[in-house]
Amino acid sequence: MKNLQRLGYPVFIVVMAILPFLLDPRWQAVAITFLIFAVVALSQDIILGKSGMFNMGQALFFGLGAYTTAILNSKFGWPMLATIPLAILIPAVFGILLAGPIVHLRGDYLLVTTIGFNIVFVQVVQNNLGGITGGPNGIFGLDAMKLFGWELTNQVAVYYLAFAVLLLTLLVMRNLAQSKAGRALHYLREDQLAAESIGINTRVYKIFAFGLGAGIAGLAGTVYASQYAAVSPEAFDFMQSVLFFSIVIVGGSSVPGVLIGVFVMFVLPEIFREFATWRFFIFGFAMILAMILRPRGIWPATFGKIPKFLIKESNHGA
Amino acid sequence: MDIFLQQLANGLTIGSMFALVALGYTMVYGVMRLINFAHGDMVAASAFVGLTIYTQVMGQATSLLAVVTIFLLAAAAMACVGIVLERLAYRPLREAPRLSAVVSALGASLVIQNGIMLIWGPRMRIFPELVPQVYWDFGGVVISLIQVIILVLSLVLMIALYLFVEKTRMGAAIRASSIDQDAARLMGIDVNRVIALIFIIGSSLGAVGGLFIGLYYRGITFNMGWQYGLYAFIAAIIGGIGNIPGAMLGGMLLGLFNAFIAGYVSSTWADAYTFILLIVILIVRPTGILGERVAEKV
Repeated sequence: MKNLQRLGYPVFIVVMAILPFLLDPRWQAVAITFLIFAVVALSQDIILGKSGMFNMGQALFFGLGAYTTAILNSKFGWPMLATIPLAILIPAVFGILLAGPIVHLRGDYLLVTTIGFNIVFVQVVQNNLGGITGGPNGIFGLDAMKLFGWELTNQVAVYYLAFAVLLLTLLVMRNLAQSKAGRALHYLREDQLAAESIGINTRVYKIFAFGLGAGIAGLAGTVYASQYAAVSPEAFDFMQSVLFFSIVIVGGSSVPGVLIGVFVMFVLPEIFREFATWRFFIFGFAMILAMILRPRGIWPATFGKIPKFLIKESNHGA
Repeated sequence: MDIFLQQLANGLTIGSMFALVALGYTMVYGVMRLINFAHGDMVAASAFVGLTIYTQVMGQATSLLAVVTIFLLAAAAMACVGIVLERLAYRPLREAPRLSAVVSALGASLVIQNGIMLIWGPRMRIFPELVPQVYWDFGGVVISLIQVIILVLSLVLMIALYLFVEKTRMGAAIRASSIDQDAARLMGIDVNRVIALIFIIGSSLGAVGGLFIGLYYRGITFNMGWQYGLYAFIAAIIGGIGNIPGAMLGGMLLGLFNAFIAGYVSSTWADAYTFILLIVILIVRPTGILGERVAEKV
């Protein structure tokens, strides 16, 4: 598996780099969606998979980024590119502020609280709080993103923007796994008591994971807003969060696993569009079956270079 | 004062429906430490099953006997669905990581919800008028026969369940299994039977709740299970999840809270207020009102 992974990344990157030239416009749009949702799912993996916090509200941060971009562009006339720092910062700050009072909650309580945040967010946006969110219709007619005086109006350009964001996210994930923070998160996921007893400030690292995951999801939101030149509340409702949650668990908290999960959940439905009414019925069965056959996910997480005989089959976490 | 009494009546009605559904969540969680996300969709399915029994089997009769039969058949049907669900989706995952079972539950929820859509269609259906439209006017406060039936029947069911769990041998087995499954097994309790029983009781109470929702709100949609299920689950958490009287208390409290918010503040923000209440309660009392303080199992 190690060799496969070493070979897998360059192959994946090369294939993704030439992909838009092999696809017609409809499938290019699907590919962009794949890239954006992969970024959100990876950001969810930081919170859920890597840190073991049952977060079922990731669409909130995704939406917060998208709405930050949309509001700054449509109401305040900021160029799309200039909104990126705030579209990362605002979700990250919200992630920290919302996580602060709740990270100590037991798993399932945290899960329901994050669902709650997501539902409150959608309600705020739909009720057009402060008159800037556009209500149930959302905000449309956003500008195209301009990069060095070069407008990203066509789909291929947006594709490469999304691809660049995915590569950046993968880089962040790799650095995280090799950093002190990544090791701390891994410990606290495996055994919070033990982590605390060797001096890891679990509260700080949990909030850090929320902030980081929220910031990355916010960046994906900006790309989403520029793909459709619009944002609307239902794109960020809590069903989306359920999907991101399921992706990480079904895929199995590893980069290949999450990418497979995104493919299965968002690209396969496009292929089987004719069966639209049966889609989620079959999906539900597939989710149950996937979990029964592979309870630890399709491509389970590995951590560091720990010899196999030292790894105890642990029974908790993802 | 009129608004207060009116919303008190409405709140108790809604609250008893929440409580019935919440019992299914809390009993399953108590023994299996699993949020049964499919429970809300089974509640919705029950309303549709009741609709079909009414039109196809009972020939649209609304006699007392017919109504009682509809309730019993729908409850029995949902009890069977509950057992099948447990056997197929949850039992194979009992030793697996906890989140796998959660995703399995989400999958089961999708299956049931979309199963309803495939069978009964995506449009809203109107639930039959099983109970005559009788209203009493107490000086501006209007109470309907349906409200009285829902409240009384819910209270009877809840008291019966409470007595069953507290006073019988099987009830003691349920309580023992929810404290410590392994110890219960060592004491000779058949935990598999306890779990099957819990799914039977929880699902049939949920089925009654679903029929009440149909009777009270009339319009039923295939995806309404999420909404009611989530509220009922919040009720279970507010009361202290795993705790049976807690679910009843939580349901009633949440029903009253919702009714008073709708009566005095605004209904466009109802969801937001409900979750704010939940978050405040969890911050003040992280295990709910009647929940014991226990550390998560290591």
